[in-house]
Amino acid sequence: MSDEKITIDVLTLDSVQCAACGYMMESIAAMPKDVQDMIVYKEWSIKNQDSVAKFQELGGRVLPTICIESDLVFESIIPQYEELIDEMAKRAPSQEIKDRLISLREVGFNFDDLAENLEKAGSGMSTRTDSKRS
Amino acid sequence: MAKQMLIDAYRGKKTAKAPWVPYAGVHCAFLIDEPADKMLKDPELLAKGVVHTAKRYKADGIPLVFDLSVEANAAGCSLKWWGDNVPSVSNHPCSKMQSPREAGLGLPTKDSGRWPVLFEAARIAKPQLEELDCALMGLFCGPLTLASHLAGVRIFTDVYKNKEFAAEVCKFAGEVGAKSAEFYAEMGCDIIANVDPVASQIKAETFREFVTPNSQAANKVIKDAGLTSSFFICGDATKVMEEVCKIGTDGFAIDEQMNMNFIRDLALKHGVGFGGNLKLTLALSLGLLSPREDAIVSLAAGGQHGYTFAPG
Repeated sequence: MSDEKITIDVLTLDSVQCAACGYMMESIAAMPKDVQDMIVYKEWSIKNQDSVAKFQELGGRVLPTICIESDLVFESIIPQYEELIDEMAKRAPSQEIKDRLISLREVGFNFDDLAENLEKAGSGMSTRTDSKRS
Repeated sequence: MAKQMLIDAYRGKKTAKAPWVPYAGVHCAFLIDEPADKMLKDPELLAKGVVHTAKRYKADGIPLVFDLSVEANAAGCSLKWWGDNVPSVSNHPCSKMQSPREAGLGLPTKDSGRWPVLFEAARIAKPQLEELDCALMGLFCGPLTLASHLAGVRIFTDVYKNKEFAAEVCKFAGEVGAKSAEFYAEMGCDIIANVDPVASQIKAETFREFVTPNSQAANKVIKDAGLTSSFFICGDATKVMEEVCKIGTDGFAIDEQMNMNFIRDLALKHGVGFGGNLKLTLALSLGLLSPREDAIVSLAAGGQHGYTFAPG
């Protein structure tokens, strides 16, 4: 399988304080293991100064927003599982990844590794103005 | 400080000036130099934080807590605690498509979860707020947000693909919300608000199907108690604002992402109160805008007919 991954940026107010932001993050973190292997994602809380720069770089318009490969895809709408798969597949870096994603369209969310996946994405960890992002 | 003026504004009436509510939440902990988790678990500290904040900001009303995990926790969800934030819900008992009953969840009682802490904090804070002529506000987790806590993010797929399951979870969430409204009424809250932030992230027809009907039980509890109701929504709620105005509460509150002129005109059209929308992030948190100028803009747009000045 290709090493290339799909980059997902979630622009939030703060996924702990804001429930809508939290469930935007969770929609990615609850993707099944096979999808997790094909994506890399991060929370960008606008309370953090580094994230403001990211928000501007991506041209964010509303919070929360899910950006896939730098496209503003889900703006103030928490996506359905299949919608997320379809939008990721459209932006897959190779036909192989696209085909694999489409084959996972019926699998559905998996909550088993949620806490670990959220932590990996820095969820709720950079919500102060002076927090530094890696 | 002017409790009655706030109640009038929340009910969509004209007021001599715009009343003001700081939705302080865990900011109260910061102001009394305590960690958020410690304050939220300790009724004396919580009451101290709320009363101190009401005095400090000369508030016309203040929420006891602004914490949407209370209902989920009382119904059976676990929490992850933070020192500088509200707790977050860390498991979803209905995530494998069990109904709330199948998952063993029951309606909360006054002894469930953190309700004893809130009852005790309200008992301490209420007379002090009365002396300040400041309204005590009870905020409960709205049906779709609570359904998300119970079932996880899948609920946003289930509202289209598994409607029966989604309806069952949202119905239970609405019943839990009505219990919360009862508890807040018993505590002596003057205003009780249904806070459903994720309701901005769905289509208007989904709102009509899952949020509106499951808010009616709480509306009735508040109305029967002779109290004032509101519906709080966050984010870019443009697509559901007509539904928010028609949900049956005395008013609503929105956040910084909404245009106040649009909101004012909508509220006046429907004869309901409205609140907002001092920019929480751009002005108050990041300082990218002058909070003073932002406040002037909000106050000018809001006017004095059913408007409450508040952070958004």
